[in-house]
Amino acid sequence: MAELKPILLVEDSPKDVELTLAALEQCQLANSVVVVRDGAEALDYLYARGDYANRAAGEPAVVLLDLKLPKVDGLEVLEIVKRDALLRHTPVVMLTSSREERDLVRSYSLGVNAFVVKPVEFEQFFEAIRDLGMFWAVLNEPPPRGYNGGGTT
Amino acid sequence: MAHPANLSACEDEPIHIPGSIQPHGALLVVDSATGTVLQAAVGDAALRQHWKRVEGAPVARLLAEGTSRPIDDLLALAPDDGSAHLALLNFDGARFQLVGHRRDDCLVLELERADEDEPVSLDAVYPHVRRFLETVQHAHAIDDLLQAAVEEIYGLTRLDRVLVYRFDADWNGEVIAERTNDRLPSYLGLHFPASDIPAQARDLYTRNRLRLIADANYTPAVITPPHNPRTGRPVDLTAAVLRSVSPVHLEYMRNMGTMASFSISLLREERLWGLISCHHRDPARVPYHVRTACDFIGQILSMQLAAKDAQARMEHRHALRAVQSRLLARMAGADHFVKGLLDGDQDLLSLANASGAAIVTGSEIEAIGEHPGIDAIHSIVHWLSRQRREDLFVTDRLAKVLPGAEHFKDTASGVLAISISQLHDRYVLWFRPEITRTITWGGEPGKLQAANPDSGRLHPRKSFAAWNEIVRLRSKPWDQVEIDATAELRTAIVDIVLRKAEETAALSERLTSINKELEAFSYSVSHDLRAPFRHIVGYAQLLKKHEGERLTERGDRYIATIVESAIAAGQLVDDLLSFSQMGRATLHEVAVDMKGLVESVRASLQVEGGREITWRIGALPVVRGDPMMLRLALQNLMDNAIKFTRDRPDPVISIAARREPGEIVFTVADNGIGFDMAYVGKLFGVFQRLHRPEEFQGTGIGLANVRRIIERHRGRTWAEGKLGEGAQFHFSLPIDNED
Repeated sequence: MAELKPILLVEDSPKDVELTLAALEQCQLANSVVVVRDGAEALDYLYARGDYANRAAGEPAVVLLDLKLPKVDGLEVLEIVKRDALLRHTPVVMLTSSREERDLVRSYSLGVNAFVVKPVEFEQFFEAIRDLGMFWAVLNEPPPRGYNGGGTT
Repeated sequence: MAHPANLSACEDEPIHIPGSIQPHGALLVVDSATGTVLQAAVGDAALRQHWKRVEGAPVARLLAEGTSRPIDDLLALAPDDGSAHLALLNFDGARFQLVGHRRDDCLVLELERADEDEPVSLDAVYPHVRRFLETVQHAHAIDDLLQAAVEEIYGLTRLDRVLVYRFDADWNGEVIAERTNDRLPSYLGLHFPASDIPAQARDLYTRNRLRLIADANYTPAVITPPHNPRTGRPVDLTAAVLRSVSPVHLEYMRNMGTMASFSISLLREERLWGLISCHHRDPARVPYHVRTACDFIGQILSMQLAAKDAQARMEHRHALRAVQSRLLARMAGADHFVKGLLDGDQDLLSLANASGAAIVTGSEIEAIGEHPGIDAIHSIVHWLSRQRREDLFVTDRLAKVLPGAEHFKDTASGVLAISISQLHDRYVLWFRPEITRTITWGGEPGKLQAANPDSGRLHPRKSFAAWNEIVRLRSKPWDQVEIDATAELRTAIVDIVLRKAEETAALSERLTSINKELEAFSYSVSHDLRAPFRHIVGYAQLLKKHEGERLTERGDRYIATIVESAIAAGQLVDDLLSFSQMGRATLHEVAVDMKGLVESVRASLQVEGGREITWRIGALPVVRGDPMMLRLALQNLMDNAIKFTRDRPDPVISIAARREPGEIVFTVADNGIGFDMAYVGKLFGVFQRLHRPEEFQGTGIGLANVRRIIERHRGRTWAEGKLGEGAQFHFSLPIDNED
């Protein structure tokens, strides 16, 4: 089995970072977690540029993307990723406080793989993160390189 | 013979260039540059004897025999416009008034025979003029003024009959004042058709205010040569005093039994409105200075009448303006201008002195007073809208333009309409009933003239006997002041309508912007307010997880309370957001099977403690609505019913529907704890609770959501209840929501 790809967590709130990490930790995933704090940094990581110019090659196993972000917001990041022929197969899970219908509609129209409204209750949040982590990081195999088709699973 | 009343041949006659003069004097057309006579007509025998040869003679030599004054000085007095008195000439006892004017680089001189006893200057007749002026100052009534004028002119001219003749809009005339003696019949009150004074005659009356025909049997003195050698045209006698008149007119005079006539034009703002017409049974000459004095009197009369008329109009206008401002105030205060107009129905009528009125906005008609009925108003409006779209339409004889209008002549023979929209059929109309009038004509119309069977030539009528015509299908004519007042009202309405439209546009713009702000606000709340609660719960649970062993029992309880409170607060935020979304989300209306929906909601609801509930679900129809929203409404109501029957040993919840006029009413009833009707008004408000939180859970937003959902479906919500005996919640959906 090849080396596990990292999970990219894009989250501006340090508290949400800590809580998300705690949840992921409880899932006991073997993947490493890379945390970036805004949309611009996320794009730098994904395109291996700026501070991440020298990172190890390869796309993350899954991007956990907060919707509201400084500089470049989550929807913009999603749009760029899903329009990029090389990045479009990287699964993106939108994490948001929002229950707004329009965010949901927009995210799905941009091709998000999952949309999770962060529940107030931590146990539910934990379960959501764990399910996502298990599904995307471990179970889901990305399509082979060069495959440019639509949905895969 | 069905023949029009016009003597059309008269209309064409060039009466300003008759080529001859009346014979009581002479006419000389003189070359201004050389002083030579170019054309002449000498009717007076004495002058003919004096002047052997006139054509080509120097005018100075001809006139020198009659005066000792320098001729050049006299001629210099002749004006370009109208004729002026230049001198009194005396040829061996034969006296002549010399008058002259200039035309086409020529001097047109007229010598008019003067009688022995006639006034030689205006001074002699001035007392008459002064007396009239004094009378005028004391005469308040128009009739008194007219009578004073005819009396004075009767005295001055000593002619048998003096009358004031007034034209109507169609140039028919009416005799409105008269002084006569037993030598000629009275014409007072008679009407004369427009053809009696054809257009070009009226034109001459306008340019030259005085006209004398001394003898209807005169033989004209012909002007020779007929054409002016300098201009090549006949001389224009518009301004002349001796101008010969049309033979048709002379025949008319003879038919009327008047051998002499004299008229003074009555003008207002240079427009002919009437004549002072004088007649004499026998030939008669009215001396030049007497004619001038009569002209003064005519002018003063005209000015006085104009002044009185202006004053009357001003008073009328003033009165209508008061009416208008009351209407405007009401319109400005009303939601819709129509209501404002109708609130002051008497004012609406009196603005146009109408007996009925209607306001038409599209297919809606509001009519007041004596109106012809909705169908007739529709047909009038339909007809109006097919005409060229004018802002204002006015008639006092609707039946003449609109076929069929005679059926409602009793209410709408007269119509005044203002159009208040360029795009739509929107009018305000005023109506006046038929007023049958009798017009007494001087001679029967239609027999005003007859063709001579021998010559085929038209002759003027011979009979002037009074003949009554009954005029039908006409209302009292609309006064210009009333027309103006309605035109002003139109402007005001258009302004108000436009202003209201602008206000509505501004309001809707403002609402849109407020809505946007609200949306931005709730969006930001949804993201930012939920996060802290999530953090509280998250960290508290992490604390319990990692440090739980070291916590006392009390510490455990504190953490549990923190978590519970934060969850409740988060729930509250979620409920509030869903409530605000409910108002904004678009409605996706489809056919919804209410029975199926209720069953599906019932299956999804959890009953705490596994209590047994008796559900009684009646027949429920299929309606049109947003299934998600209706589901939420039912869920809230059914959830409440379950919640409030918690303490009942035998809970029963029934759901039924019934048809009411225009709507279907759904009822969710329970036998739970009920509520006090005193608080029924608070039931559907946001955050209104009738129970303490520890008694029953909930954020107090459920029923507010129900109300909002049903209102979005154009329905109503209400409730009935009694403490301890259960509650019934009703909502209605309009019948068009039934699928």
